[in-house]
Amino acid sequence: MSRSIILGHYLPGNSVIHQMNPRIKVLVLIIILTMLFAFKSIPGLLAMLLAILLLFAAARIPFRYLLKGLRPILYIALFALIIFLFFTKGGVVLVRLGSVTVESDGLEEGLFVIIRLVTLVLFSLLLTLTTTPLSLTHGLGYFLKPLGRIGLPAEEVVMIMAIALRFIPTLIEESQRLMRAQVSRGADFESGSVFRKAKNLAPLIVPLFVSAFRRADELALAMEARGYRLGAKRTRLYEDLIKMQDWFVLLTALLLLAAVLYTNI
Amino acid sequence: MFIGTDKLTHTYMPGTPFASAALKSISFSLGRGSFTLLIGPSGSGKTTLIQHLNGLLKPTSGKVYFDGQSIGPDKSALLSVRRRIGLLFQMPEDQFFSETVFDEIAYAPRNLGLAENEIEESVIKAVERVGLRPKNLLGRHPFQLSAGQKRRVAFAAVLSIEPEVLILDEPAAGLDPSGKLMLFDLLSRLNRTEKITILVSTHHLDEIAALADNLLVLNGGRLEMAGKAREILARRAELQDLGLALPQVTEIMDELAARGLPVSTDIYSLSAASKEIIRLKRADQG
Repeated sequence: MSRSIILGHYLPGNSVIHQMNPRIKVLVLIIILTMLFAFKSIPGLLAMLLAILLLFAAARIPFRYLLKGLRPILYIALFALIIFLFFTKGGVVLVRLGSVTVESDGLEEGLFVIIRLVTLVLFSLLLTLTTTPLSLTHGLGYFLKPLGRIGLPAEEVVMIMAIALRFIPTLIEESQRLMRAQVSRGADFESGSVFRKAKNLAPLIVPLFVSAFRRADELALAMEARGYRLGAKRTRLYEDLIKMQDWFVLLTALLLLAAVLYTNI
Repeated sequence: MFIGTDKLTHTYMPGTPFASAALKSISFSLGRGSFTLLIGPSGSGKTTLIQHLNGLLKPTSGKVYFDGQSIGPDKSALLSVRRRIGLLFQMPEDQFFSETVFDEIAYAPRNLGLAENEIEESVIKAVERVGLRPKNLLGRHPFQLSAGQKRRVAFAAVLSIEPEVLILDEPAAGLDPSGKLMLFDLLSRLNRTEKITILVSTHHLDEIAALADNLLVLNGGRLEMAGKAREILARRAELQDLGLALPQVTEIMDELAARGLPVSTDIYSLSAASKEIIRLKRADQG
């Protein structure tokens, strides 16, 4: 169950990429995604694809994580390719099936879109695989701060997200434990019609909710006991310092974006 | 061999950087009708081992046996194993989901497809076995009960399928002293008079040590010791190295013996200790 969730799955490590400042990582990702959409031709995208593969190697992420991360977009990619193959016309006719033709412009555009999609997903995956959910949340939260001026309680939103992220594994573990407990009492969560399956889930859902509410209650109490107050200014144990190499990476990304926009490749 | 394992190894999340070996090549066997304690510090793999005995976890390698057969992936065979081996989880009252105590206890027999009148019979029998009165209890909401009652209802929910083997994961955790005594009394009765094979995991040996025939000691996923309870309990130094505390009365008797009194140190329950002290006193006077 938990094994199939790869997006947002952090892989511990201590590579240069792991150690980058999360705020800078988020910014660089935004710059790179912009760059991917600025490219007009396949060679530029292929260079980016090569770059991301090298970055994965630098972060020492096993190759199969890359494949696992790409699995969810397999069908979207195939669907896009088919659409472009049959509906974009122009260039040389490659295949002719009666009145249906596949032309070279369609193939080119299809490949272009797929490479862009794959590269985009891989860059996003690199961020989530090398950044703990917690520091990622704080990184994103930093960019929410200015919204405080228009009434968005940024600190609280970040706290909610951080708590939610913190408890996802706990809830998954809890649900697995409950599932085993009920299976040992003869429960069957797999067979039967959809309606029957849904009904059979009650012995799982009810205790899960009960424990989630109890946990929430206890957590709220524990937080208040340690002085958490809404709207109060908080300091952090681990300050996210931006180091020299972070600025360097950010600058490089910006220069690359400028180059791509300027040369219009 | 009635129930046991052969070179059972289990690794959580194999093939990832999160992989951790919870059980390392564990082999043991328990006879029919025996009473066994599985002890070890927290995180030693007790729960993981227990869940294999019911087919809830699949071994990474090695085998689990029950009644001469290997517990395999076959679904109907697994169901019959679960019909014969009752498993009480840690903090079993966390599993409650029904609106009445009756439905909670009837869950397992219903899943096994018993007829409604048989279900009622088995529910009432199970409730009586755990020492509760069915009359004022069965219609109540399980969340309204006291902690001790909840634990006993959860126990009844396992007993309702009339298993031949009972496996209990830390059954005394969170119970008050009288609740514990009542539980151990019940376990002893189920084992001695009804000949149910019992395996209990625990890290507190107080009182329950006196009931056990066999002892399995787990540490860091390895089976460090296995054998007759008295023999293993006599290996005091090794147990202490593993961070396992002896029953308090045993420590008192050890201390008395160390101060030169002629007492037996082979004592693991309060009643045995008081008998021994009375014997000593009589011998002293006579």
